[in-house]
Amino acid sequence: MKYFFTFLCVAFLLGGCSQNDKKPAAVTSLPTNVSTSAPRPNLKSAAPAPDVSPMDVIYFPVDYPLLKMSKKAEELPVARVFYSRPHKQGRKIFGTLIPFNEPWRLGANEATEIEFFKPVTIQNKPVAAGRYILYCIPEEAQWTIVFNTNIYSWGLKPDATKDVYHFVIPAKKHSVSYEYFTMLFQNTPGGANLTMWWDDVTASLPITIQ
Amino acid sequence: MKKTLIVLFFLAATHGLYAQTMISTPPVKLPALDKSPMDMAYFPVNYPVLKIQEKATSPLVARVIYSRPQKAGRPVFGDLVEYGKVWRLGANEATEIEFFKDVIVANKKVPKGKYTLYALVNPETWTFILNKETDVWGAFKYDEKKDVVRTTVPVQKMTEPAEAFSLMFEKISSGAALTVAWDDVKVSLPVLVK
Repeated sequence: MKYFFTFLCVAFLLGGCSQNDKKPAAVTSLPTNVSTSAPRPNLKSAAPAPDVSPMDVIYFPVDYPLLKMSKKAEELPVARVFYSRPHKQGRKIFGTLIPFNEPWRLGANEATEIEFFKPVTIQNKPVAAGRYILYCIPEEAQWTIVFNTNIYSWGLKPDATKDVYHFVIPAKKHSVSYEYFTMLFQNTPGGANLTMWWDDVTASLPITIQ
Repeated sequence: MKKTLIVLFFLAATHGLYAQTMISTPPVKLPALDKSPMDMAYFPVNYPVLKIQEKATSPLVARVIYSRPQKAGRPVFGDLVEYGKVWRLGANEATEIEFFKDVIVANKKVPKGKYTLYALVNPETWTFILNKETDVWGAFKYDEKKDVVRTTVPVQKMTEPAEAFSLMFEKISSGAALTVAWDDVKVSLPVLVK
């Protein structure tokens, strides 16, 4: 199983060498040759290939859908995040692939989306329930995590006029480098940390449940 | 003694510097990439790209979020996906469809909001099921009482199989078709948009 997964990773890497951060241009070539009327005798698959920077979802409480299945969950989760996971592929990420002091979409492809199902508090500021997109302005020792209301947009070119919150958090170097950009919720006494990790850099945004 | 102190001081100082920038605790268990990765499709098609290019001429109608199992040499329908059973239409978390305005599915008004989309798969027909219980895993907790609409559509066979399970929106004259393609099967759910 482990070998199979390693093989998958290698296959992904080989397949994705030249097009890691898929640009909008690649997406506009999505299926156009699909039948839209009556069935045809010779249908061909117009299915898009899986993305090299695949999307993932995280919930708080952690694994909420599984908890819900075992009836251990409340009616609504606190938060969920959809983000895409680019690969390091031997590149130096922060300060090189992702320049410091410029907006970075915290992922790939569609803008990273966070949804709060109830109001929360972040750095003493009340954050209303609802959807936001997230982006980041990384620096060497700190990241600014920006909440923005221009939802359902592609991650490039964030519209700063729709920023609603800026949260500055420390960015720390780790001795372990991680291949895939990763976001995860970690339980804390009053809520959760939204932890981000890529290459050898990690940062956490503490979220308190009101 | 003095030398030792100097060395100790030097070690402490450099360690302090090191500790400032490096975390020495072991990493948390970070999730690997999923074998059935998630994906997202919008209607109008490519809405997020159109939006940042300021080319979105009609308002957002729908998006679907689903996971993409691979065929990987296996027989799919009637085997991996059993006939006559409610299927999560993907993998992992059940597939979610969201309407940003009221739409009509199978002559029934579907109010804007989030739904879980299931399919009951048969050789010649599929029944799509829109269900109100969202943020669930698989079809294990499927509750028929929370269905909003069910509609049965014919199966079309493709000559060129799809390796990865795919959902995509296509523009049709009455609105949108949510098309499913996997292995040699293609199925479309028409969504009337006014």
